[in-house]
Amino acid sequence: MIEFNKKITLKLAKLSRLSLSNSQLENLEKDLTSILSFIDQLKEINTDSIDPTSNSLDQNLILRDDLAEDVLSNEKLLQNVPESELGFFVVPKVIE
Amino acid sequence: MNSEWQTVIGIEIHAQINSKSKLFSSSSTEFGSAPNTQVSLVDAAMPGMLPVINKFCIEQAVKSGIGLNAKINKKSIFDRKNYFYQDLPQGYQISQFKDPIVGSGSIEIEIDGTKKAIGIERLHLEQDAGKSLHDQDPNLTFVDLNRSGIALMEIVSDPDMASPEEAVAYVKKVRSILRYLDTCDGNMEQGSLRADINVSVRKKGESLGTRCELKNLNSFKHITSAINFEVARQIKIIENGEEIKQETRLYDVSSDTTKSMRSKEDAHDYRYFPDPDLLPLNLDEKWIEKIKNELPELPDEKKDRFITQYKISNYDAEVLTSDRQTSEYFEEVISNRNPKLVVSWVASELFAALNKENLSIENSPVNSKQLGELIDEIEKGTISNRAAKEVFEEMCVSKKSVQEIINDKGLIQISDTSEIEKFINQVLVDNPINVEKYKNGKTKLLGFFIGEVMKVTKGKANPGLLNQIVKKKLDN
Repeated sequence: MIEFNKKITLKLAKLSRLSLSNSQLENLEKDLTSILSFIDQLKEINTDSIDPTSNSLDQNLILRDDLAEDVLSNEKLLQNVPESELGFFVVPKVIE
Repeated sequence: MNSEWQTVIGIEIHAQINSKSKLFSSSSTEFGSAPNTQVSLVDAAMPGMLPVINKFCIEQAVKSGIGLNAKINKKSIFDRKNYFYQDLPQGYQISQFKDPIVGSGSIEIEIDGTKKAIGIERLHLEQDAGKSLHDQDPNLTFVDLNRSGIALMEIVSDPDMASPEEAVAYVKKVRSILRYLDTCDGNMEQGSLRADINVSVRKKGESLGTRCELKNLNSFKHITSAINFEVARQIKIIENGEEIKQETRLYDVSSDTTKSMRSKEDAHDYRYFPDPDLLPLNLDEKWIEKIKNELPELPDEKKDRFITQYKISNYDAEVLTSDRQTSEYFEEVISNRNPKLVVSWVASELFAALNKENLSIENSPVNSKQLGELIDEIEKGTISNRAAKEVFEEMCVSKKSVQEIINDKGLIQISDTSEIEKFINQVLVDNPINVEKYKNGKTKLLGFFIGEVMKVTKGKANPGLLNQIVKKKLDN
């Protein structure tokens, strides 16, 4: 079982873009550890002869035909954005 | 390159499926529209929106998989690939990780007549991201989500290539197959097909070296230059006793070098997991069979057929079949005509004219029917091959018919024996000294007489007949 420590919890928070206080981090660490140990009980079941399940619904994927439709207007799409210009979303500069 | 070194290359091709709508939404995929006008609530990742997959895209992926001689997986799963970037509104890309729609396959490349098989590891479906513009403002990034959610096929090769030539031949072959199947338009300039190239070097007999990924190459020229630079860079590092760092690099056209893309340490922790919004995709065996049976003739088969059916060379067959439109044009022209003549007109004259104007064969100023008519006139002997070139040049710039041009330019070949004889007699009378010399054994002068007749007929005398008659008259 993965032992949650501060480093892993911090990394997860960072990947999730969450800014957490020290006490929140500590609580989360405890919660995640207990969640994992709960889930770990599943390991007791022998699943050798069972195909991995990716979805619990016993249905087929629903398909749609390839039809292009008019969707949102540019004005409507950008209606709630904090900043836009020339029809673009505008965000602080990010260059990877 | 120092021959004790070997280059190992593997390629990931991103090919945009030529669907009308996106992979999981009904927004249009039209290229070049105003920014953010083809973005649905799904593409913008508004809360509560659910993806619904495009059936046509699945069909195109299966078709492409069959074209790559690959295994079609009857069950495949869509996963979320999580990363944070401003042109990825969902915060994850829907892709396929452990269970792709297409498994391993293999295609053949050919360089200077030598064939080599290149393994395909897999083909999977995924969403494209939006586009970021970093040059509009010094402190801001502009984002356009029109491309967000468009269906891509990622085709991953095995690390089977050993040179830039093989890498280019492989990308060309995949592109050709997809274009034959009409699953991707292969337009590299517009980014419909782009390649990420993994390059490593090793000394002969050693295990694989650390690789670097050269991202987003969209021309054959860039692929060649980027690999050449990267191989030299890696060898130099190793020879200096240092180690290669595994990283992603970008090819910079202006300096013809590759540069490290600065990326954060944890940028590649994608935390894949099955997308709970999408059920597994189960394909029906009968449906796969149906697609298989409807597959068009592919480049390799067509090339082999051209060689046997038209008795043309391996080289000509390769040139004429690497592009589907070219092969179709060729076959439209050929019908009952002389293959040699048609090959030379399509592969030399037509290609030269298209290259000069930078046109694709679909936009050729001379269509296959017109070129066929021109070739008919050569075969009938109405015009000489040389005159035909003049007619062809005119056809490229005017709308006139072959007949009109021949008449307007007075290019009809003189094939009437008695008329040709008249011209010859005149030339013989005018050049008694040369006639004498010829009769005394200087038979090389034959060319002189032919040239003179051509001069007076402005090149219109049928060269075959002319040759025959002049010879007959002089030898008498």
